[in-house]
Amino acid sequence: MKPVVGIPRALLYWQYFPLWQSFLEGIGVETYLSPPTGRQILQDGLAALGTDVCLPVKVAAGHLLALRDRVDLILLPRLVSAARREYACPKLMGLPDLVRHSLSLPPLLSPVIDRYRHDNWPLIRVALAVGRRVGAGLPAVLRSLARAVECYRRYLNLLQAGYFPQEAWEAAGAGQAPDPRAPAGDVVALIGHPYTVYDREINLNLLGRLERAGLSVRTAEQVPEATARRAAAALPKHLFWTAGQQAVGAAFHYLEQEGVVGMISVMSFGCGPDSMTGDLIARRARRGGIIPHLSLTLDEHAAEAGVLTRLEAFLDMVAAQRERGVVVCG
Amino acid sequence: MKTYLGIDVGSVSANFVLVDEAGEVLEAVYLRTRGRPLEVVQEGVAALAKTADHGAVAGVGTTGSGRVLAGLVVGADVVRNEITAHAAATARLIPGARTILEIGGQDSKLIIISPGGTVADFAMNTVCAAGTGSFLDQQAARLGIPIEEFGAIALEAQTPVRIAGRCAVFAETDMIHKQAMGYGLPEILAGLCEALVRNYLNNLGKGKDIRDKVVFQGGVAANAGMRRAFERVLKRAVHVPPHHGVMGALGAALLARAQTGPGARTGFKGFDLANRDYRTGCFNCNGCANQCEVVEITQASTVLARWGDRCGRWSRAPLVSGA
Repeated sequence: MKPVVGIPRALLYWQYFPLWQSFLEGIGVETYLSPPTGRQILQDGLAALGTDVCLPVKVAAGHLLALRDRVDLILLPRLVSAARREYACPKLMGLPDLVRHSLSLPPLLSPVIDRYRHDNWPLIRVALAVGRRVGAGLPAVLRSLARAVECYRRYLNLLQAGYFPQEAWEAAGAGQAPDPRAPAGDVVALIGHPYTVYDREINLNLLGRLERAGLSVRTAEQVPEATARRAAAALPKHLFWTAGQQAVGAAFHYLEQEGVVGMISVMSFGCGPDSMTGDLIARRARRGGIIPHLSLTLDEHAAEAGVLTRLEAFLDMVAAQRERGVVVCG
Repeated sequence: MKTYLGIDVGSVSANFVLVDEAGEVLEAVYLRTRGRPLEVVQEGVAALAKTADHGAVAGVGTTGSGRVLAGLVVGADVVRNEITAHAAATARLIPGARTILEIGGQDSKLIIISPGGTVADFAMNTVCAAGTGSFLDQQAARLGIPIEEFGAIALEAQTPVRIAGRCAVFAETDMIHKQAMGYGLPEILAGLCEALVRNYLNNLGKGKDIRDKVVFQGGVAANAGMRRAFERVLKRAVHVPPHHGVMGALGAALLARAQTGPGARTGFKGFDLANRDYRTGCFNCNGCANQCEVVEITQASTVLARWGDRCGRWSRAPLVSGA
């Protein structure tokens, strides 16, 4: 019997879930997804990793613990590099080791994804390694990988058509072709790692709050990679973090777009790459001087009141800008 | 004559301002919050009730960390964040202001105003209070100096001593050391002011374009030593507006004035709200794994509002009278 594979609803899940899910399904593996982040997961994660890691990594520990008694294996790829001459964040690279030694977990399925030197073939190697581990034959692995890559491509197209991850992978799984969604109303660009932007528990439901304020939200993943890379090329030096490339490139792209009335950089406290890319974005936004920009740094100590005050002030700024030149008060 | 009431309930102080139709301050009340926002709102309104024209209030605005609670109790027409409120007050009192340095009890803000008078950018301190009034309060208390005299003593300094001010705890260690070395009190106090200013600018000022006029407000602006430290570090004049300690409340009053146009009716519950019996309670919702702590505000066993839940099960539920 094939093992049940657990997937933590954290970190890379927010980027690659459709790829993983489609592949595992194709080779006949049953998957189990940890529940959405809630207080219990947060508390378990904080208790398990008291070290100097960012909140999303602590949350990931909580998700891994939530899988503990339910699965035979946990899929936790070690992402070293997602693109040539670029790296992932060091905490992601070290994550499998970190949790293996500090939490007691079922065996980890941690294929190494390293495209630093070669762009494409490691994916096949990863698929074969995973297939071997769960007892799937070569033909099934190859067939399933091709299907998963196709599904992932559909997913990316849906994101770029204006969908958010959850709805995009549901649609991609159903084989739906993208039906472009024009933003309804003014757009606020919400820039950050997918796991901070989409996990409502980590970001105090920022996305929902912006939508409730009557704004359309656009994120970094919704900008095609090639567009983001072209925009990020405006930097004097190539950024060697893939996620940073996407964030900075997408932000620069949005700053040039009609209809974008504001930008929020949402960052994790203790994140090295964020401290750098967030600042690059803030400086660029300020240089233009037209689009209000807000930097939000989040961790488990981020008081809701403080975040809401900043958000409200930001929305006031956006409203004042839209009325162009109307003084707040006589 | 119409009047407008502004209330700013902060972590350390709660301020109440009554302005006339032209936006001139008629009355200002400054109270310590003492961790009891509900009581202090009632107390402040009662203080204003003595002199105010009871029928004249045409609009009420609240701001500060306790703005939602205060707004509920007084029946506010406008509930706005502190940043917008401070900017509104400054824009009125100091025309041409481009930079606002605001330091309160546990909060500090830096607000950049556009030439058009709108908020263009801002920053607020995050989890650390090392660049705020509480830091000065702490150290003044340790040295046995009333906080009111702090500024005047600091101004006597010839050469401020450099104090390690990155963290309030380490600053204390360094101050003890400097005292033991024999530095004078004025020099140490002036050094403390500069340490706070450095902290503030490092935390909030990075990447911000600080332009004239620079306005310094908030409770800490009463400290002349702090004003001089800002002037020394920024190398430009720093203006402290009249009513600098109640700018948030003034801004809230002005925003209420802007919001409640002619014909609009205010939601103000009247000055006798001081005599009503408001209570806050809290319970854990067991609806899901989130276990939200729900706050409940009641008046004479009628639930006025609930909040604190993430899903809206309580905050959006119709309110029913208790037993």
